[in-house]
Amino acid sequence: MRDRSAVMRTRQEFPLPDLAWEPTAEFWAGAARGELRIPRCDACGRLHWYPEPECRSCTGTAHTWETMSGRGTLFSWVVVTHAFLPQFADLTPFVPALVAIDEDPGVRVPTRMVDCEPDALDFGTEVRAVFRPLTFTGIDGSVAAPLFVPA
Amino acid sequence: MRMTEPNETWGWPTEYDDVSGAVAICGVGESDHTKASGRTVPEIVGSAVERALDDAGLEPTDVDGLMHIPLPEQFDVAAFHAHFGTDHDMWESRAGGGMRWAATAPYEAAHALRDGKASIILNTFGVAWATQRSQMVGGPGQSHAQELFKQNLEIPMGWFPQPVYFATVARRHMYEFGTRQEDLGAVAVACRRHANLNPGAVMHEKTLSMEQYLDAPTIVAPFRKEDCCLISDGGAAYVMTTPERARDMSRPVVEVAGVGLGNSVTGAHWAQQPAFTSTPQVFAAPVAFAMAGIDPGDVDVYTCYDPFTIHTVMQIEDSGFCEKGGGGAFASSGALAYDSGVLPTNTHGGLLSHAYVLGIAHVVEVVRQLRGEAAAQVPDAEIGVYGGYTGPQASTLVLRRAP
Repeated sequence: MRDRSAVMRTRQEFPLPDLAWEPTAEFWAGAARGELRIPRCDACGRLHWYPEPECRSCTGTAHTWETMSGRGTLFSWVVVTHAFLPQFADLTPFVPALVAIDEDPGVRVPTRMVDCEPDALDFGTEVRAVFRPLTFTGIDGSVAAPLFVPA
Repeated sequence: MRMTEPNETWGWPTEYDDVSGAVAICGVGESDHTKASGRTVPEIVGSAVERALDDAGLEPTDVDGLMHIPLPEQFDVAAFHAHFGTDHDMWESRAGGGMRWAATAPYEAAHALRDGKASIILNTFGVAWATQRSQMVGGPGQSHAQELFKQNLEIPMGWFPQPVYFATVARRHMYEFGTRQEDLGAVAVACRRHANLNPGAVMHEKTLSMEQYLDAPTIVAPFRKEDCCLISDGGAAYVMTTPERARDMSRPVVEVAGVGLGNSVTGAHWAQQPAFTSTPQVFAAPVAFAMAGIDPGDVDVYTCYDPFTIHTVMQIEDSGFCEKGGGGAFASSGALAYDSGVLPTNTHGGLLSHAYVLGIAHVVEVVRQLRGEAAAQVPDAEIGVYGGYTGPQASTLVLRRAP
């Protein structure tokens, strides 16, 4: 007998983000306007990423969202050729990456590199945000996201 | 060296009191390790527990303490009683299981023994993920998919699941330290050679050469399939008691000499960990080694949680077996080999080639090595170490063959 008790239920639109989830709602609302939005801790003044309940630097609990320049450097990246989710099937090959933003290189934005030759990417490559719709195999709808291209 | 040296503290050791010599492992057992088997976790773990009790020369009714991890379907007290038809009182702890807990369960057990809560304590763990995989979201990535920051910031970008995370770490490690693809391959090949010697390993009959490793296509570059652990059904268990009682039992006595636990400030969000190419072993291993009164050079056999080849490289560095950044060259030097290496590592084949039991079988392997019963036996091994890892935390367990 197969035991199904370990199986997770997902939102119908998964892996699209939940635009109504409060902690990251402004990140996605900003992306819809073509802005890279990151919160700053009201207490210590450092960028607060991810927007968890408490600031990692000072444990402050209030933050204010700001618009970033959208510029950064490539921190690391991979080239995915195997679809680990069925919803990724039409994306492969794709290039998930972490981008260190100019305002604070300690802040790494998970993203995808687009409009580039993966072999031409290098550490420290200067990159800039572009706003593109995320779409997934078998999932209706799309959500605009900050993806990155070489600057 | 290009390492972005963090200018802030990125983690800390948990304060542990000295439990050196307070607990012994007196029995070990594993289920069969298989591809999809149709078995449930309680069936799998139950068979591992039967073998561990046989090994220790104990009856189910002798067990008065049970440790597991609060994941679905683990082998809790109700499952124990259902499996063995018993109904006696048992002390129960959810601070056991695999991963980093496979190293720290003995610390909790030492306290339970001292406090008289239990006298014979089992730690167990098992998975049926090969059977369940097709129903899980991203396979073993499912627990990550349930975390809402990952669900809303990482997964929509395609930065998911674990092979993607840790290929990103591996590429950065290559940049910072000059680690080569061949160095990762050396880890995979060493583990496979050990598995080929171990009849209990899932990959027992399948060999792997460096040439085959390098010729394989990448699935998430720079990782090939062989950089990634197996997904298998299986479980393991070990029995703990006081060293005094263990000396009256049938098996050679293996004592806990040291335990350490390290934590990362970024928790499960390791995309943001300041020291991106390090593990919290940096904080865990020194605590365990100090408790045991040993240096890294005293270790005869090492097992470490190796979901990906890069984890072996990083934990060897972070535990002080070589300098930071030197783990790749260390692996390529032949250091991991059971018969000729300076640090025989994952001598049962590891998660890469033995089975994906999330670390508990690594502890079983260290015990067997110290008893002289391993398939790929390190000659006269006296001190063995397991390094556990979960991402947010890492742990170190030092075991010693009692004189």
